Amino acid sequence: MDFRTAAKLGSRLAKDYAEDVFELLVNYQAISASEVAARLDLHIKTAQDFLEGLAEVGIVSKEEVLEKKRPYYRYVLKQKRIVIDIDLMEIKRHPNPDSLSMRIRERENAGARFSVAHGDNTITGVTIWSGEGREREERKIKLTTPQGKFLYHLPFPKAEPLTVAAIMQKAGIEDGLAPEILDLVQLMEKYEVIENLLTENLG
Amino acid sequence: MYPMRKLKPDRSIGGLIPVLGMLAIFGLSTLLFDITVGLFTGAVMIWIYGLYTLFVFVRMGNLGHLVVCGYCVFLGIMALLASQSIETGRDPDIKFQVAWISGVIFFGVLIIYLAATKKIKWRGREIFELAAEPVDLVGDGYTPRPRPIGKVEFTKQEILAFARFAAKNLISIVYYGPRQVTLVPVKMGDEYTYPFRLSGSYHEATWINFDFEGEVSVHIAQKDYLDFQELLDFDKLCESLGQLFVEFAELHRKGEGVRIIDRMDALRLSYFS
Repeated sequence: MDFRTAAKLGSRLAKDYAEDVFELLVNYQAISASEVAARLDLHIKTAQDFLEGLAEVGIVSKEEVLEKKRPYYRYVLKQKRIVIDIDLMEIKRHPNPDSLSMRIRERENAGARFSVAHGDNTITGVTIWSGEGREREERKIKLTTPQGKFLYHLPFPKAEPLTVAAIMQKAGIEDGLAPEILDLVQLMEKYEVIENLLTENLG
Repeated sequence: MYPMRKLKPDRSIGGLIPVLGMLAIFGLSTLLFDITVGLFTGAVMIWIYGLYTLFVFVRMGNLGHLVVCGYCVFLGIMALLASQSIETGRDPDIKFQVAWISGVIFFGVLIIYLAATKKIKWRGREIFELAAEPVDLVGDGYTPRPRPIGKVEFTKQEILAFARFAAKNLISIVYYGPRQVTLVPVKMGDEYTYPFRLSGSYHEATWINFDFEGEVSVHIAQKDYLDFQELLDFDKLCESLGQLFVEFAELHRKGEGVRIIDRMDALRLSYFS
């Protein structure tokens, strides 16, 4: 199951009336939205949206029936067991050599405030301000230990930029932690704390 | 010929504030009451200043400040005796006059010696001048982030011994942590506030950190960076400050601490700057 489908299903299951609807679906051969609404004292639209949502993720099937020439749907449970199985490795980012060879350094006048953990040679958080006047907003970013070490070793503005890989090596960060470092680099670039200069020519 | 200075000329009067304050309060209390009250107030203020110098002696281990403390005690007692003498209307007896003259000469000579040899001078200005010496590039690039300098091969005992030396010679105030020592250089004029700062409150100041694993890092406060005449390359300046302390620690390890003092004295900065 992909993450988006699982999220949709999860949101349906989180409704406080979900268990009651499933109880009806399990015990009835087929049931319409108006019957569910009447039985559980729900608004017809609420029942309809819930059942449509289940049909969308394949938990129920719907069949169109005609009653006095007026069509409506009856819903039938398709699965006796719901299993949410997500392979999280599908959403893991795999760093490519290009992103590790980006030459970066702190941007001049970045306007960020760095909180330093003394004795640990690491930065624990970054506070960034964006916008002007009343629109000015403060955003605090807490860093993981490897991210804090990485930022601690980031070259200063106007200093010789280094590749992401070189900074990681300097900070003693394992290669396996590259995804979380690249995530930080991406975020810091977005908030203009880091500037990305030319990618190092590896050829 | 004097070397080119990289710091702006020192025009701060921070160091004179206690003396000016004492004079003002002495004058005011004399004006409002009489000279005996003025002298008594003066004695109390001198003793308070003596307490400050005693604190610096205990905090830093600088013997010169113990001499200044002794001078303050002496001056306070003399002011008190003078006050009593005026109050009773009797001329000060010969013992008082001898004690006064010999005390003034004794402490006067000692304090002139301490000032001339810069043994009671806070060396922050020398530190910044020395750190800026090899930095020629003009480039700004200030950041409030600390800069890692690298790893040095010092034992914990060597780092602690150097820290004690730096404190004793007023090169920097030292904050001890469980895993590191942090040295904060203090310029003349800032000496009345920095020694009272608690260990958690120096982070905004300029500091050089030696952790017991040998990692050295440096932070330069914006206030100190702006005290330079030109926008020096900030990265190079931080590196130079770190290297300067590594070099000092190296000299101290070799038993050549006096060379550190010589390097600072060679700048020939005035006592008050």
